[in-house]
Amino acid sequence: MINMGFFLVLAAALFAIGLFGLLSNKRGIVSLMCIELMLNAANINFVTFASFKSDATGQVFVIMSIAVAAAEVAVGIALMLNAYKMKKTTEVDKLSTMRW
Amino acid sequence: MELYEFAWLVPLIPCICFVLAGFIGHKTPQCGGLIAIAGAAAAFVMAALVSYGYYTSDLYKAAEPFVQNMDWLVVGKITIQFGIYIDTLSCIMMLFASFISTLIFIYSLGYMHDQEGRRRRYFAEVSLFLTGMLGLAVSSNYLEMFVFWEIMGLCSYLLIGFWSFNHEEAVEKSSAAKKAFLVTRLGDVCLMCGLFILLYIFGSLDYQNIFGSIEAHKDDVLLPFAILLMFGGVIGKSAQFPLHDWLPDAMAGPTTVSALIHAATMVKAGIYLVARSYPIFTQCEEAMVFVAAIGGFTAIYAASMALNNMNIKRVLAYSTLSQLGYMVLALGAGAYLISLGTKNGDANLIKLGTAGYIAGILHMINHAFFKALLFLGSGSVIHAVGTEDMRMMGGLRKKMPITAYTMLIGCFSIAGIPIFSGFWSKDLVLEAAFAPFHEGLGFGSVFCVLFVLGMITAFMTAFYMFRMWFMTFTGEPRGHCHGESPKTMTFPLLILSVFAILSGLVIMGNFGYYVARSLKTSMPTAGIFVEKGMDVVKEIFTTPATYVALVLAIVGIAIAFFMYSKKAYDPEKFDQDKKPLYYRIVAKRYYFPEMYNQISWKLGYGVAKGVEAIDKQLIDGTVNGLSNAVVGGGDGLARVETGYVRDYAAYVALGVLILMGIFAVIFIYGGGF
Repeated sequence: MINMGFFLVLAAALFAIGLFGLLSNKRGIVSLMCIELMLNAANINFVTFASFKSDATGQVFVIMSIAVAAAEVAVGIALMLNAYKMKKTTEVDKLSTMRW
Repeated sequence: MELYEFAWLVPLIPCICFVLAGFIGHKTPQCGGLIAIAGAAAAFVMAALVSYGYYTSDLYKAAEPFVQNMDWLVVGKITIQFGIYIDTLSCIMMLFASFISTLIFIYSLGYMHDQEGRRRRYFAEVSLFLTGMLGLAVSSNYLEMFVFWEIMGLCSYLLIGFWSFNHEEAVEKSSAAKKAFLVTRLGDVCLMCGLFILLYIFGSLDYQNIFGSIEAHKDDVLLPFAILLMFGGVIGKSAQFPLHDWLPDAMAGPTTVSALIHAATMVKAGIYLVARSYPIFTQCEEAMVFVAAIGGFTAIYAASMALNNMNIKRVLAYSTLSQLGYMVLALGAGAYLISLGTKNGDANLIKLGTAGYIAGILHMINHAFFKALLFLGSGSVIHAVGTEDMRMMGGLRKKMPITAYTMLIGCFSIAGIPIFSGFWSKDLVLEAAFAPFHEGLGFGSVFCVLFVLGMITAFMTAFYMFRMWFMTFTGEPRGHCHGESPKTMTFPLLILSVFAILSGLVIMGNFGYYVARSLKTSMPTAGIFVEKGMDVVKEIFTTPATYVALVLAIVGIAIAFFMYSKKAYDPEKFDQDKKPLYYRIVAKRYYFPEMYNQISWKLGYGVAKGVEAIDKQLIDGTVNGLSNAVVGGGDGLARVETGYVRDYAAYVALGVLILMGIFAVIFIYGGGF
């Protein structure tokens, strides 16, 4: 039996990679992908605990989380498409008109 | 339904006239004048019916008031009511106030005829004034009375300042109005504090409740304060010594308004308050000595200022002050006697005290008649001559005989010549002032001094009134004159002169008993006892003091005659540059207006400066500092909004880290969730 710690470290590493990508990368599509990574890190945590604690609730929740992620990506990509149509770019640093 | 149940109509009728004259007065003949006259006359008829109804009712026989109340304010356990309280005192007040007001309103038709559209305002305001007085007379509790009291304060302000627009002396006129308002306000604040204390002691302001439960609270330590503070209100309203100075300045208004204020309304309200509060006032005899002393001092103090004044209206104003002093003296002495009488169970003292009370009320009525007469007469003179300076008058007797001789009657009356009304009441007042000394009571010596002051005042009164009459109506004409005034003005003079002669004679009849019924109503346990009318008259003519006062009055008249009519001693000697010191002090009104000014400039302005500094530095500083902090902080925080998505993501990540740190700390040190 593999220790639960391995799974949690995997999830944490995945989350850290996603966060690093989000903060360091200025391309919008990549940012979306990084967010997906972080979400999936969380999903791994869910199923890990569900499996080790023999409780199906976590697994059920992951299904819902995936559905929400799909919807979120649809909205995010639509936003990026529109931003590209208007500004001819998807670089998030150039989409900075909403400020003081 | 008994007649007296309609008493609420008495103040309501002039109030309706106030609204009518105010809104549609300019569309009616005489600009609302007829409405005001009709209202006052209807109020008088109504008051007469109410008085008759009460006089013939069982309530009068049983010495009970007629009271009708409805709830007005209910706050916790305290219920303030709005209603009417009819006893003989309220009947008397209603009768003479409405009667004299009717005559003054008729007179106003002639006096104000050249005022065009502004008469609408005038007649509306005088109607409201009358409402205030009549409402005050029928009120059933102190708060309701205070409301009407303030209505009168407002109307006096409006009417004294009537000529503050489009008049060459507009500033002077309006500052006189402001002075009247502010000075009486000082008294009103005192009265209000007194009423607060009464409410605290008795839990009610209702006359009946207070008079009924006075026995249970008579040793309350706060009661003397309540009495003195209420008397403070009287000092303001009835223009007694420290707050007297507004009344001479109130001459800035039309003469009819002066007549109204001095004879029928306003200043009589203070006297009424003292008379009405007798059951409370008699609980503290030391305070009553103070009341009497203020009255006696005001009498001579004001009379001294009338001695050399050249303004015909001012002379009358000072004489009003002086006569009001007499009334307060009589009421104070009466309350003192009744107070000691009930304490020692001495029926004689109560009898004398009741006589003082009757003297005060009778003098108030007589004064109302002869002072209305004198003011309206002076108004007639001013109307004809166009000036108020007596040096510009003279020899008017031939040109305006009706005015001259009716005013002569008024002068005889105020000087206290027998048969004329002032004689009877002034004598009773002096008798009441003398009684405590005669009976050898604790403060007898004080009252002895007050009695002597009253005697000197009687002499001064005779002198300055006849000085005024001789200067105005005899000698050489010193200015032009339009001749006798129109009938609307002479008619009220004639009627008032009849009353100025006869109104004192009521003392021979049942009048004393009738007045004292009010005391019996409010103080049922005091054992009020009244002498028969003819006995009182007999006593008047067997006391030596009567003859002393009479001789003093005649001497006063004679001196005035020789100085101002025969010119045996030239009064112009006083008018040289080297005037005697006393003359200058009196002419400056004892420097009282200056003192007021000094106080208001030095003290009031200083305080205002300090308050302004605090306002600017502290309050404004705090408010501005707060707003600056908010604006600055907002500006600083706005920098956080960079517009870069990655910054926001970093903030979120940072926040999560901090939260995780906190949770970790709780987890480690708190021993788990």
